[in-house]
Amino acid sequence: MIVVLAILGLFAFLIASIWAAATLDAVCRGWIAGGGTVSPAFTPLRTAALWLSQQRLTTEAPDRLNALLSIAGYFALGLVGLALVPIGPDTTLIALPTSVVAWGACESLVVVVVFLHGWSPNAPLALIGAYRYVAIGLPIMLLSMFVLIAAALPAQSLDLRDIVTSQSSVWNVIRQPLGLPLFILLGLSLTLRGPFDYADSADLAGGTSVEASGPDRLGWQIARLVMLTGFSAVAASVFLGGYLGPVLPGPLWLAIKTLAIMTVVIGLSHLLARMPVARMMGLIWIGLLPLSFLDLILAGVLAL
Amino acid sequence: MMTSILFYALSALAIWSGWRVFRVDSMIRATFALMVSFIAVGAIALLLSADYIGVATVFMMAVEMMVMGLFMIMFMMNPAGLNPMQMVHQYRFSIGAGVASFVGLSVAVLTTALPVSPLPPGGETLRDLGTELLGNSMLIFETAGVTLLATMVGAVVLSSASGRFGSGSQGAQPPGLTEGGAPAGRKVDAGSGHSHHGGGH
Amino acid sequence: MTLTAILIVSAALFGIGLFGALSQKSFVMLMMGLELMLNGTLLATVGFWAFTLAGLPKGQLLAILIMAVMAVELAIGFALVVAVYRKRQADVTESLTTMKN
Repeated sequence: MIVVLAILGLFAFLIASIWAAATLDAVCRGWIAGGGTVSPAFTPLRTAALWLSQQRLTTEAPDRLNALLSIAGYFALGLVGLALVPIGPDTTLIALPTSVVAWGACESLVVVVVFLHGWSPNAPLALIGAYRYVAIGLPIMLLSMFVLIAAALPAQSLDLRDIVTSQSSVWNVIRQPLGLPLFILLGLSLTLRGPFDYADSADLAGGTSVEASGPDRLGWQIARLVMLTGFSAVAASVFLGGYLGPVLPGPLWLAIKTLAIMTVVIGLSHLLARMPVARMMGLIWIGLLPLSFLDLILAGVLAL
Repeated sequence: MMTSILFYALSALAIWSGWRVFRVDSMIRATFALMVSFIAVGAIALLLSADYIGVATVFMMAVEMMVMGLFMIMFMMNPAGLNPMQMVHQYRFSIGAGVASFVGLSVAVLTTALPVSPLPPGGETLRDLGTELLGNSMLIFETAGVTLLATMVGAVVLSSASGRFGSGSQGAQPPGLTEGGAPAGRKVDAGSGHSHHGGGH
Repeated sequence: MTLTAILIVSAALFGIGLFGALSQKSFVMLMMGLELMLNGTLLATVGFWAFTLAGLPKGQLLAILIMAVMAVELAIGFALVVAVYRKRQADVTESLTTMKN
C-alpha cells in the first residue's frame, strides 16, 4: 500500500516538475530575448501539442530500434535516479546498499543513450553531436565519482539513505563546499544543457536531435526533463539533506529542495556560455578534476 | 521463487545478447548487445548479494562499451552494417572450439560434487569487501592499481602519433588489396589526405 | 538458482566468447569475444563466491581483479589497434603477417 502511494506520489511530482521546468525554460528564453513570453505556463503544452501533431520524418536507413531504445532508456535512467532517492528514513523505492554507485552507473548509461540517439538517425550532424558528447560526458562523469565518494565518506556508507541521515546536523553543501557546484556541472552535462550541451546544441542545428521530429522529438525532450528531475533529487539528497527539515513533512522538503536545485540548473544553463570542445576538455582535465580531488581530500581529512 | 525466475530470465538475456554480438550486422548493435550481456551478469551478481560487484560491473561496462563503440565506428569499414559482409575466418573450427569448451565445462560442472556452503544471510558483503581491499589484500589491490597506471602509460606510448623513434607513421606500409599485391590506400609518406581503407580481403 | 545452473550459464558465455574470438577477423570484434569470455569468468567467480566460500571476501577481490583485467585488455588492445592501423592501415588480423615495424 505504502509502495503504491509512494509510486503515485513520485509520478505526480514528476509530472509537476517537468511542467515547471519547461515553463521556467520558456520564461528564461523570453527574458534573454528581451521581450518576455506570453503565458509561459502554456508554452510547453503548446509545443508538446505541436510536436505530437507533426508528421514523423525519417532519414535514409535509420536505426529505428536504437532510436526508440535511446529515448526509453534516457527516460528510464531518470526514473531510476528518482527511485533511488530516499523519501523518508529507510524509505526508498529501490533499496540498495550501493545506491550511490548505482547512480554512477546511471550516469555512465546516460552517455550511452545520448550516443545512441545521435547514432540512430544516420545523419552527420547527429553523429558529430554524439561523438562530442562522449568526449565531454566521460571525463565529467569521473569528476562526479570523486564528488560522490567524498559525500559518502562522512556517512561511511555507499547508501543514499545513510548519506541523508549523516547530514542531520550539518548539510554536505556546507561540509564540502566544492561538492555541489561540481555536481551541478555534471547535472548540466547529464541533461544536455547550456555550457555542457555538446550533444543537442544550436551550433550543430540541434545535434543528436537534428533529425528527430514529431512524437520522437517530444519523447526525447520529456526524457531530458525526467533526467533533470532525477538528477536534482539525487543532488538534493546528497548535498542538501534530502527529506530532512523542520515542521513540514519529509517528502515535501525533498520536493522543495529538488525544485530549488532544478531552478539553479536551468538558470545556469541559460546564463553560461558554451566553450569549444577542446577548451572544455582542458578545463575539465586540468581545472575541474583536480578540484574534485581536493574536495575528496578535504572530505577525507574531515572524516578522520 | 521470484529470485529463480529472475535468474533464469537474466541468464537467458545474458546468453542471447552474447550470441547476438556475433550475429548482428551493425557494429554498434553488437557493442551494445555485449553491454546488455554484461548488465545481465551484473544483475545476477546483485541477486547473489554481491552488491558492489554487480553495480560496478554495470558502471564499468557501460563506459568500456561506449569506448568500444567509438573504436568500432573509427575502424570498421561498415559500422552500421548497411552492406552485408562476412568478416570471419576458420568458421567451422571456431564453432567446434566454442561448442567443445561449452560441453566440456558443462560436463565438468555436472559431474563434480560442488561444495555447498552458501552465503550467510544478512551478511555485510560491502563492508567485508572494503576491509579486505584495504586490509589483508591491500598489496594485491595496490598492485592492480599500479598495473592500471602502467596500462595508461603504455596505451599512450603505443598509440601516440609521435612515436618513440620519430613519427609514429614513419615507414608505414598498408597491406596489399590482393595477396602480395601493391600497397593499398593512401601513401603516408606522400602526405596525401585521402584515407582509403585497405582492409585486405 | 543453483551453483550448477550459474556455472553452466558462465560456460555458455565462455563458449560463445571463444567462438567469437577465434572466428572474427576484425581486431575490435576479436576483443569483444575476449570480453565475453571474461564475462563468463566473472559470473563463475561470483557464483563460487556466493555458494562455496561462505562469503569470504577474497572471492569478491578476485571478481574485482577480473574487472581490472578487462580494463587492461581493452586499453592495451585499442592502443595496439591504433598503432597497427597507423603503420599498416589494417584493421583485420589477416593483414598482420609479420611482427616487424
